[in-house]
Amino acid sequence: MSQSPSTLPITLGGLVRIQPLAGASRLHFADPLRQVEQVVLAQTFERMRRCAPHVLVVLHDTAAAGGWSLAAALHLAWERNVSAVVVSRTIAGSAGAALAERLNMTLLAIDTDPVDVALQLAGQVSAPAAARALGQALCAERLAEQTNVRGVLGVLNSELQNMPVALVIGETAVAGRVAALQDKTKARRVEVEVQGPGEQPWARLVAAVPVNGPMAVEQVESLLRLARPSLQAAWAQTRLDSTVHSAHEQAAFGLLRRLAAEPVHDAPAVQPEIETPSWSSELGWQVDGANRAVWITPLRPSGEPSEEVTHLVRAAWQRGRTHWPLVVDSDSWISWHSSEEPDDVGPLRRAVTAFRDSAEAHRLVIGVGQAHPGVAGLLRSVAEARLAAHVAREQGPAGVQWFDQVGASAALAWLPTTEIAQVADLCLAELMDARDRMALVQTVLAVLDCGGSLSQASQRLGVHRNTVLARLTRARQLGLAYDEPEQRLALHVLCYALAALWTQAGAED
Amino acid sequence: MSGAATWISAADVPALYEGAKFYAPAVGDASRSSLTSWLTGLLEREGPVPLHRVETMAPETPCVSLCVLGSGSALADLPPAGDEFVSAIRQIEQLQGVRFGAVYPLAAATVSALVPVAAAAQLGVPLLDADGMGRAFALIHHTAMHLAGISPTPLVAYGPTGDSVLVDARTGLRADLLLRAGLDALGGWAALASYPTTAGALRRGALPGTISRIANVGRVLLQQNDPDLLISRLAAITGCRRLGRGRISELEQLSRPTDGSIPAHPSSVVIDEIDGQRRQLRIELRSEIVAVFANGELIAGAPDLLCLVDVARGTLATLDSLERGDLVDVLVTPGDAVWYSDEGMAMVGLNFHGIPLDHPRRLRGEA
Repeated sequence: MSQSPSTLPITLGGLVRIQPLAGASRLHFADPLRQVEQVVLAQTFERMRRCAPHVLVVLHDTAAAGGWSLAAALHLAWERNVSAVVVSRTIAGSAGAALAERLNMTLLAIDTDPVDVALQLAGQVSAPAAARALGQALCAERLAEQTNVRGVLGVLNSELQNMPVALVIGETAVAGRVAALQDKTKARRVEVEVQGPGEQPWARLVAAVPVNGPMAVEQVESLLRLARPSLQAAWAQTRLDSTVHSAHEQAAFGLLRRLAAEPVHDAPAVQPEIETPSWSSELGWQVDGANRAVWITPLRPSGEPSEEVTHLVRAAWQRGRTHWPLVVDSDSWISWHSSEEPDDVGPLRRAVTAFRDSAEAHRLVIGVGQAHPGVAGLLRSVAEARLAAHVAREQGPAGVQWFDQVGASAALAWLPTTEIAQVADLCLAELMDARDRMALVQTVLAVLDCGGSLSQASQRLGVHRNTVLARLTRARQLGLAYDEPEQRLALHVLCYALAALWTQAGAED
Repeated sequence: MSGAATWISAADVPALYEGAKFYAPAVGDASRSSLTSWLTGLLEREGPVPLHRVETMAPETPCVSLCVLGSGSALADLPPAGDEFVSAIRQIEQLQGVRFGAVYPLAAATVSALVPVAAAAQLGVPLLDADGMGRAFALIHHTAMHLAGISPTPLVAYGPTGDSVLVDARTGLRADLLLRAGLDALGGWAALASYPTTAGALRRGALPGTISRIANVGRVLLQQNDPDLLISRLAAITGCRRLGRGRISELEQLSRPTDGSIPAHPSSVVIDEIDGQRRQLRIELRSEIVAVFANGELIAGAPDLLCLVDVARGTLATLDSLERGDLVDVLVTPGDAVWYSDEGMAMVGLNFHGIPLDHPRRLRGEA
């Protein structure tokens, strides 16, 4: 903050926030950004005729006699380009308010003595820095009363009037007015960093301050700083109770799903350029950019995870990435990273790597979807990540599979291998009884995978071609007639299922 | 009425009444039927009254003005017995030892424009085509004669109860104060005979042609019901123009403080213009329409004659008949030039009504 306070004149918006005008009725309020350079106590119309522009006129005595006098005063004020007219409530009727609106002249009605009011206002206008400081103190009080992020942003936006303020994580506005981020040639961007737990940067408060506006950059900056503790408190409060937070996230994600399922014209959030649903900002979620989802699931799913496990997974996953969501979805967890740049996989790659030890410990696998924009894109990415996670199960605990690298073969991950293996027990009883069944099945699978090429299969298995040939002969004797066209697909799937099952069992052992 | 000396007959009474109303729009219609039928009967019995221009009279002819002093509703409650005006004149004649050769109205407006006709018929003397105000003002010394140095006294106020008050005061203002103090006791209204003078003095002191003018205005008002046509015809006779047309949005009683100098409460009418610039017209009332503000800017004011035309009916709207939602035209008619002099402005201008603003005609260089 600058050491020398701003000498800019105070604005009408600034004056009406503090007494005596805080108690005045706003019969018409034209422009809160209008500067007030001087206060004139006008007793006569002659005095009003001598008013300079940008003064605030308090009507008194003859000039406030009632009837025509207010109308004449408003007209003179309009002629003299006065900032506002203050008058006793006793003479300010509805016709006066209507005329003020017609002339777009701010008209404030007071209950107290006009002379006292004029004197107080003169003091405030002559020391704008002191008046602003008083305004800021009141603003700080209002900020302290806020218990959620939206409330804090609401106070800031009402305080800064025409200057949009947003809470930004990455490059996405999660609360407040997105206009704060839009490039404006005549606005200067003011940013204040907001830290999360452990002094980690969490978000930024961004305001667009008009270059020739009535409020100094330092003043805006100091207001943004004032809001930081309230923001941190609001943010921390939502996370104090992890059960509530978890339920909140689950419900919100359910709502996102419903949004995406509705027809396009009813679901503005489907349009990436549309503002994020406001309730998602409470959770610090970003869904505006390109979203890449992560599906974290147990190797062996066994119903909804306990709160304790969720807590541990959350702690591990959100370490250093406090604003990344973690939503419980039946037996799994969903998270995502939103970025302006769809190809920006660095943060996610680092997150997955950092999570590997925990995944190993909790016997989890991870699927990563592709990047898609908006809410609909996020849900698509979630579906992809889920598919990829199924494929990842083949790799055992801490397996990670990116959907980009799975493609159509992801379909195999959905095969009910256990059931197919049971079929094998019945249909290929001889084979299943054989001690070398694993080698036989893997060999048949390799040959089928390689389109019948024995040499390719032997290379893949790392055995001699004759060994392959011998195993194929034995397999055929045990009922695995892989070269019969009508049975080839069924046997291929069967071998795949058995091999996958044994690989998983081996990995678990 | 035609020729150098014209006549006012019973047939002219309705036009005279309507024209007189145009020049005093604040006055209601309460006493209309009793007065017009009395005057019509009188003129039918006594025959038409000769109307003379002041300069056609011998300069030494003694003349006296007449008017109705007090409230119009009191006049309606307690109608004249018929001899009040003649009796008032006779008392001054006795005091001064003269015989008046002509009568003239103090103000050629309101019922005060009709009573001199009745008195002239009763006395058998001509009526002068002149008056002291050219419209109606609130106080008896607000006259062109007063500005010309003609004293309003001695004057006599003769009430409907048969009592009378004779006032001889040093100034017009004191005469007015003394008169009003006794008005209630006289019956709420009184026949006032004042400004006894000669035709020669009236040549320089009175405003000429005002009786003929109200008769002409009255005929236009009686003939025409289309407001636009009415206003253009009135403009040809009176020089009036329309300030705006709008709907009454608010009626404010006691809208500003009063100093008690004028026996009428201040109030305001707010009109939202329906075409043009859609301004907010604010009309300040007292005993007359004192001023018109458009969006707070003073655009007309006393001594301009301001009146309202009821657009739906094509008639003049009297101030006691106004209601929210009425569509009205606001008309301004210039007063006689004498009222725009410094002395005239000081007496009947905006300052007198507690509006310390420069008159728009002065600002425009018209006065």
